[in-house]
Order: sequence, then C-alpha cells, then structure tokens
Amino acid sequence: MQGHTKPTRRSKITALHDAARLARSALLERPELCLGGLFKQGRPVALVRALLAAGAKDLHVYSSPGAGYDVDLMIAAEAVEQVFIPGVTLENRLCPNFRSAVESGQVTAHALDALTVVGGLMASAHGVPFQPIDALRGSDVLKHNPLLREIDCPFSGRRIHAVGPIRPRVTFLHAQEADRWGNLRHLSTMVYADQLMARASDMVIASVDRIVPDEVILDDPSRVSVPSHYVDAVVAVPYGAHPTASFPHYAMDEDHIDAYADLGDAARAGDRAGLDAYIARHVTGPTTQEDYINAVGGADYFARLEAEARQE
Amino acid sequence: MSAAISPLEQMVVVLARDLADGELGAAGAAALVPMAAIALARELHAPNLTVGGEMFFNPEPGRLYPSMLDDRALGRCEAAETFIELFGHSHHGLDFFFHSGLQHDAFGNINLHHVGGTLHAPRMRGPGAANLSYCHTSTRFYICPTVHTARNFVEKADFITIPGHLSGPEAKRAAGLTKEGPRFVVTPRAVMDFDPETLRMRLKSVHAGNTAKEVQRHTGFDLGISGDVPQTPPPTEEELTVLRARIDKTGTLRA
Repeated sequence: MQGHTKPTRRSKITALHDAARLARSALLERPELCLGGLFKQGRPVALVRALLAAGAKDLHVYSSPGAGYDVDLMIAAEAVEQVFIPGVTLENRLCPNFRSAVESGQVTAHALDALTVVGGLMASAHGVPFQPIDALRGSDVLKHNPLLREIDCPFSGRRIHAVGPIRPRVTFLHAQEADRWGNLRHLSTMVYADQLMARASDMVIASVDRIVPDEVILDDPSRVSVPSHYVDAVVAVPYGAHPTASFPHYAMDEDHIDAYADLGDAARAGDRAGLDAYIARHVTGPTTQEDYINAVGGADYFARLEAEARQE
Repeated sequence: MSAAISPLEQMVVVLARDLADGELGAAGAAALVPMAAIALARELHAPNLTVGGEMFFNPEPGRLYPSMLDDRALGRCEAAETFIELFGHSHHGLDFFFHSGLQHDAFGNINLHHVGGTLHAPRMRGPGAANLSYCHTSTRFYICPTVHTARNFVEKADFITIPGHLSGPEAKRAAGLTKEGPRFVVTPRAVMDFDPETLRMRLKSVHAGNTAKEVQRHTGFDLGISGDVPQTPPPTEEELTVLRARIDKTGTLRA
C-alpha cells in the first residue's frame, strides 16, 4: 500500500504533575476520588501528594474498605469534605488528623461497611442499577449508612439491602509494572479492589514502579491485572507508594508513618508547627519525585525498605 | 519451660483449643493473637483448618505480625483473592472469626465508631470497621481485646458497630441474627462466656495470677460472679513448646 502511513497508537505515559492536573480538573466537575491498595499496601501516595500540591479541595474520598496514612494526610492538608471509607486507621494507632477533623465537624465521616462500598463499586463496574446485599444485620451502621436502601427481594420476598453504583470521577491506583499503553501488572500478593475500581470509575490514573517493554505484557497476558482499556494515564514514579508498600519491590515504612502520626498527635494537642513543616517538606515542597526521595532520606534509606521487602 | 507464660500466650492457647479441624476461618483486623491461635490449632489438632475469607488462603508467615495486611506476612501463602470474593465469603459466612473494639458491652456488642457524643459530633472518633458481616454470617466469633479495663468493658456500648447478642435473645431474633454470635470473650485477665438464657456476659475462668475480684474491678458491669471461679487451664508443655518454637519465634507474644 503505497503512501500508507500507519497511524500511531497513543502512549498513556504521563508526567506526575500533568496527571495531577488532569485529576484536579476532573475532580472540580465531581469531587469523588477513589484510592486503590489497602491500609499500608499499594497505595498511590505520590499521586495523592501531587494532587494536594495542585490544590485539590472539598474531596469526597473513597477507597477499598480500609485506609489510613493517605486519607489522614489529605485531611491534614484540608483537602477533604467527606470520607466514604468504612475503616480509617493506621492499624497500630488511630489516624490523628482524621479524628480531629471529624470530632470538630470539619470533615464528615460516613458510617459504612465493606459490603456497601464493594457492592457499590460492583454495581458501577457491572453497569447495573444496584447491587443487592443480604449480609448486614444488627449494626448501628445500618441506621446511618447513607448509601443503602431496604428493598424486598423479588424472589424470596425477604427484606434485603441494595446499594446504588459508586462511580468515582477519578481513581488512583498503584501497580508494580505497566507498559506504555497502560496495561497494569500487580506483582504484589494481593490486588484488593484495584481491578474493581478500575472498571467502576470514569478516569483511572495509575502510578507504577517501572514501565516494561510491550513484549513483557504480550508474552504473559494472563498476568495483566488491569487491562489498558480501563486506564487513562500511567505514571512511572520510583517509590510512588511510599510510605506504603509496593511488594515485592519495597516494604511499608512504618517508622515514617509513626513519625507522621506523632506530628498529628502534637497538632491535636495544639501544636501544628511540626505537621505544617511535614506537609511543606513532603507534599508542597518537592517539585519532583527525586526531591521527595531526598526529603525522606535518599537512596540509602530506600535501599533498606527494598531489602526488607526481599526479607533479607 | 523457663520463661513465665505471658497473658497473650494464655489467650492464644484458650482460643486455639476451640478451633476444630476442617473449619474455615479468619483472624480479623487485630490479627496478632488470632493468627497465633489459628497457627497453633493447625500445628496441634487441626491440620485441615483453612485460613480464608480475608483475601488470602493459608499464609505461612515466618513470624507473627500485628496485621496480616502486609506482604511480609503474606509473601508465602497458598492463594490470594480480591474484595469481590470477600463479598461472597461475607454472605456465605465462615466457621469462626475474631473481633475487638474500643468498647465491649455486657451482651458482647462491639463499638469501633465513637465514644461519647454522636456519630457526626463525637467526643472521640474511632476507626470504624471494614467488615461487619462475619459476626453474624459466621457460625460463631470470638472477642479478644488485648486490654481489659473498666473503660473498654462497659455496660452499654455508645454505638454498636459489631452486633454481639444485642440486648438478649429477643432483640437478637428481631434483628435476624440467627447464628451463635460471640462465644467467648478472651482477654489478658480472664475468659468470659454468655448466660444461655439471658445472653449476658459472665466470668468463666481467670488466668493464673488474677482473681475474680480483680477481674470484676476492671470490668464496667456485673460479671455475675457467684462462688468460686475456676482458673483458666494454663498452656500445656506441648502447647507452649510449639507456640514458642514454631509460631512465635521472635517472642512477640511475650514482648
């Protein structure tokens, strides 16, 4: 075919701050942000920091059913209006800024449970108007949960629950690898709700530890956890999940999270200077991920987290 | 055994003895004591017990971890699932599960949401909880907080995150809670169970080094003590040896 030029497929590789700007404008239309991973594992924290640095406000934050450090940091940076996450904790201690903001009424934290959140994401991912739930009884959460309705089961006639679709405007995920088209590979043991969120959301932005050649994906398609069809942008960010873990590449940084929580506790007690300095040093200060890595402790510091992930 | 038995080791042994071979169960959020109990049961009498329902099957952590949501603990496990499968397990139920909270009340209800005030104007906001279903879709569950004071054992919880026996058999029936619910409450001081008639918590046994009077003093409601309260059977030589040599090699339960 003379004169024919094959059109070029668009690479989804995006710079961190461009991805944050993309998310920021989408969230101005509708503030529902959803975060992948769970607690201290596989959280897209670099994307969260970049979004905070871009000045996000009044967010409605969703997640897999458990979150901690990142949501607390977003609250500390005064970017959150409502929290739709069933469990908010650092696991070994409470989330200081979440507590303060909810106790003072600055942030609304809805009483929810895992099945409501997962069911809502399932309804959205599957394109159906609601997801029935028949495993919620006796909890006061049922009296307050804003997303549930009681319905009659059309088959048994029993009163059951239903949750409508949860459709995040933007979902941030963290995976270990992607190709340039945005096919994600989770190499960690668990993938949590990342695949579900990818299918449930309007826009998906993923950070990855590294970009791999196309052949890596084509040679082992069953290893792809999230196909590129669902992914809008992919950002290669070294240590992009820090201080949460990105197995098998690096372990969670419990010392960093504990030191952060101490600053949050000091802020609760009336001294916010340390927390403000933390945000300036780690969130608003760094202009690149390299700056962030240096602010945290540099290459040697991260080598220790890598060794821990290898269980050396 | 040279070193003294720690309160957490005593808890682990009590819980392990109640788990049966062939069962399916999971540890819950505060996983340290439950995972040790499950591992001990598998070592001693329940080799076909399956750990499942929390998105991983049969983990083989090299040591005990405070949370199982950590790939250092899960790096070796037989299989992983996702929240989609957890949705199904939550409906089908497990054989056993474990819970603990900010407040535990006289009927085994657990509060993880707020102490004082209201949900949206709390004096103290707690973490909430991810999964509320295993407490009533599972055959039974255990309550195993690692502290036992008059502040976390209260007559009535300010908020019921995890329903236990609500206010007794009638309320439980009305809410559609058809399974056993909380069977035992195991703490660093004692073991409690529930009166089969009223479903109120009562003192079953006290661990070595505690008295019934002391346990009552550290509990914010009447434990219904009448007469002599037996001592919790301490760990056997075999239980303690296996626990320390194969499960808790780093001594986390004694720290």
